[in-house]
Amino acid sequence: MKLLKPIFTFLLLIALVFSLNTQFGSVPPLGEFFDPESGFWANAETSSPTTKKLTIDGFEGNATIYYDERRVPHIFAENEYNLYFAQGYVVARDRLFQMEIQTYDAAGRLSENLGLRTLNRDRSTRRLGMPYGAEKALKMMKKDSTTWASVNAYTDGVNAYINSLSPEDYPVEYKIFDFAPEEWTPIKSAHLLKNMTRTLAGGNNDDRTSNTRKYFGAEFVEKFFTVKPELNDPIIPTSRKWDFERIPVQRPDTLFEPASAVELESFERSEGVGSNNWAVSGSKTKSGYPILANDPHLSLTLPSIWYEVQLNAPGINSYGVTLQGMPGIVIGFNENVAWGVTNVAADVMDWYEIKFKDSSKKEYWYDGEWKPTTTRIEEIKVRGGETVSDTIIYTHHGPVTKVESGINEKRDPVYHALRWIAHEGSNELKTFYELNRAKNYEDYKAALSHFTAPAQNFVFASNEGDIALWITGKLPNKWEHQGRTVSDGTDPLYDWQGWVPFEHNPHIKNPERGFVSSANQESAAPDYPYYIDDDFAPFERGRRINDRLAEMENIIVSDMQNLQMDNFSYYAYTLLSGLLEWIEEDSLSKEEKAYVELLADWDLMNEGDLVAPSLFRRWAGNFYASIFNDEYSTTKARLRYPSRDRVVEVLKTEPDFPFIDNVNTEETETIEERALYSFRKTIEGMTKDFGEMGGSWKWGYYSNNDIDHISFVPGFGVENVFASGSSESVNATRNGFGPSWRMVVEVGPEVKGYGVYPGGASGNPGSLNYDSMIEPWRTGELFELNFWKTQPNEYLYKLELGSGN
Amino acid sequence: MILLLLLILTGYLVNLVIPWWGIAITGFVLGFQLKPEPGKGFGIGFLALFLLWGGQALYIHVANNGILSTRIADMLGVGSPYLVILITGIIGGLVSGLAVLSGTLFIRKDLE
Repeated sequence: MKLLKPIFTFLLLIALVFSLNTQFGSVPPLGEFFDPESGFWANAETSSPTTKKLTIDGFEGNATIYYDERRVPHIFAENEYNLYFAQGYVVARDRLFQMEIQTYDAAGRLSENLGLRTLNRDRSTRRLGMPYGAEKALKMMKKDSTTWASVNAYTDGVNAYINSLSPEDYPVEYKIFDFAPEEWTPIKSAHLLKNMTRTLAGGNNDDRTSNTRKYFGAEFVEKFFTVKPELNDPIIPTSRKWDFERIPVQRPDTLFEPASAVELESFERSEGVGSNNWAVSGSKTKSGYPILANDPHLSLTLPSIWYEVQLNAPGINSYGVTLQGMPGIVIGFNENVAWGVTNVAADVMDWYEIKFKDSSKKEYWYDGEWKPTTTRIEEIKVRGGETVSDTIIYTHHGPVTKVESGINEKRDPVYHALRWIAHEGSNELKTFYELNRAKNYEDYKAALSHFTAPAQNFVFASNEGDIALWITGKLPNKWEHQGRTVSDGTDPLYDWQGWVPFEHNPHIKNPERGFVSSANQESAAPDYPYYIDDDFAPFERGRRINDRLAEMENIIVSDMQNLQMDNFSYYAYTLLSGLLEWIEEDSLSKEEKAYVELLADWDLMNEGDLVAPSLFRRWAGNFYASIFNDEYSTTKARLRYPSRDRVVEVLKTEPDFPFIDNVNTEETETIEERALYSFRKTIEGMTKDFGEMGGSWKWGYYSNNDIDHISFVPGFGVENVFASGSSESVNATRNGFGPSWRMVVEVGPEVKGYGVYPGGASGNPGSLNYDSMIEPWRTGELFELNFWKTQPNEYLYKLELGSGN
Repeated sequence: MILLLLLILTGYLVNLVIPWWGIAITGFVLGFQLKPEPGKGFGIGFLALFLLWGGQALYIHVANNGILSTRIADMLGVGSPYLVILITGIIGGLVSGLAVLSGTLFIRKDLE
């Protein structure tokens, strides 16, 4: 009995230690987490990094990495293996958690470490065929010996870094989510690239267009989705003539109608994803050499999606930004050429309605016969739970999804197969490998011919004076409007009947106007012989860039920098004049008149410090909703909304457009009434949300820019970054989306690069460097990039990688 | 006082070689060896690691300009980085206090 007390106390101690060493739900093991030696405290950077010599077991070579004052690594190596080994090493050193979590996500493996909370995400990743596509890409990478060698060198470098870590060295996120880094493998590079395809080419309107066609009629679809606004200014200018015959395709006589209203998962493209790039020829610049600019718009996160690096070895000296998990540079320049990308909204994701023979789903009807399906079993490991096994049926189109419609309750479930460019075996790395070493236009063109997805507008400039732009990527050879609605899975005429030959992809070199540009708008004018998509970005940014470039002469770098920060709103230019005309002054109160005046006086620039952009944007949104929402909410089926640029045009030319009337009232509403109604709703809403008019109404706050942590850890992001710009402006900053890297490069005898991204090289939230470039980015500053031809004498610190045993 | 200093010293050293729960072992052993009165043992045990862990955390907080501790405070929703430092001290203190207490309660004969 005497032992009861000591034993009880001892057990209590064991229990305390045990519970402080265990993860509960999303609470990390607290003892481990707070331990000042190896918990999160160990991640706090308490001194500047210093020069180190590291010996690595199993590494035969050596490499020296010089870090500049922004901590950008400049890698100097004697051969390619050492170069890519060092790249893997330094990227892992700065961004290990990001590297891993992105590829876990792309592989549908998040739940392995994060538990049930990510199971649905993993399930949909698997059902989309993401791992299936990555496996095919890996096979392609293996077939090309240079790609395969670079991927393996990179892999070795990442693993050398991972193996050097003790648990206290793990990035802080591992401590929060309580798991450890795993071995890096080449397929992770494939996962990373497939993830870019999901981000940039993972959208389609098939079900919504089918539903809209059924509900509002083919004429509506024609009016809003086929016809383009007059202000449309395609990427390849209309002056370009096509001197080839297209490869013919056979189209069905009538368009397939799906069995019922379809509700697939949401694949709407998010508005913030887009980009700008352009190049001006020497005839328009002060130096006489081309200048190239690029700013890809993506979801802004911390750490940033980009990582800046210089790669120097025999045969390569290249500078730019890259993703975490692949060898080479994605956007950048070398001594001879510069290149950049924007996204092409090609329709490369199509759904096919499938007819199975019976419930076993072992056979499906295609081309007049029953064809066998195959299956792929996806095993999703779940931390703290049982492994989930998902059997996915594949047809020759791709993986099948079961759609149980909430609208058509009495119907049997309908099955849809997905044909998607991400399922192609592809080797995009080869493009970047060759671009990094390109010397001229011919090299650039050859490099692009290897690219599959996500299709990109590759802009180019060289010190030989060439500028060019190629719409790059494998484009399915489609009949007009093929795949904008749900396709018939039984009819071969709906299959992708081959590809557009690379030489037929829209492109232009040294046009007369002296510049090339792209801003995700339509790729080419209607006389281009192939169909690419009917849903490109509104004309607004593209047209503004072209307007400005056309009138500029004697261009210097800062002119391009200013154009990247241009906040002009073509949306307001087209719509606001209409709204102000429609609204009847006589019916307004004195206070209301003051708001109208504020808008009438506005110079149409989306400046953060102004209130007018907030009023306009909200009014435009309410007005659009007052036209369409009444009709669109008469069905539960998901419908496709028209693009705002086309809507403005229709409303201005057709005052009797039937959708103007609110179907829920007896009266017939006019456009004047709708303008007034939505105006009042706007003022009321603004007052309700932000109080009386004042500083809080400013666009810089209203546009709501949060730069969140990639895994949304509270406190690890930056909230409410006060910024100018908008999705329709060249400076497309809005809602946490925007220019994720701004770059301007002047080629010539001495190439000069400038750039900034909203983040920092270090992915460590405990480092000052983590978000150090957000403020310069916000104000439009660009840093001159240190492009070193030889090993430098001045630098912040260096790392020497050498062989161990 | 000697117990306090020994606890701090061994707590610091043991944490350099084995994981954080090493402080439970050193606390237990020192409690068992030096046999302070149980209540006092808990108090000294608590104070020792509260000072060690809290002190280390405070040092890092200052050297890091509070960058990380402020983020962690946000993440935990506690508002102030100083509370993060306090929590660090309390966690170390509780484990150590309980370890010393357990150590004092066992006598040599019990273990034979």
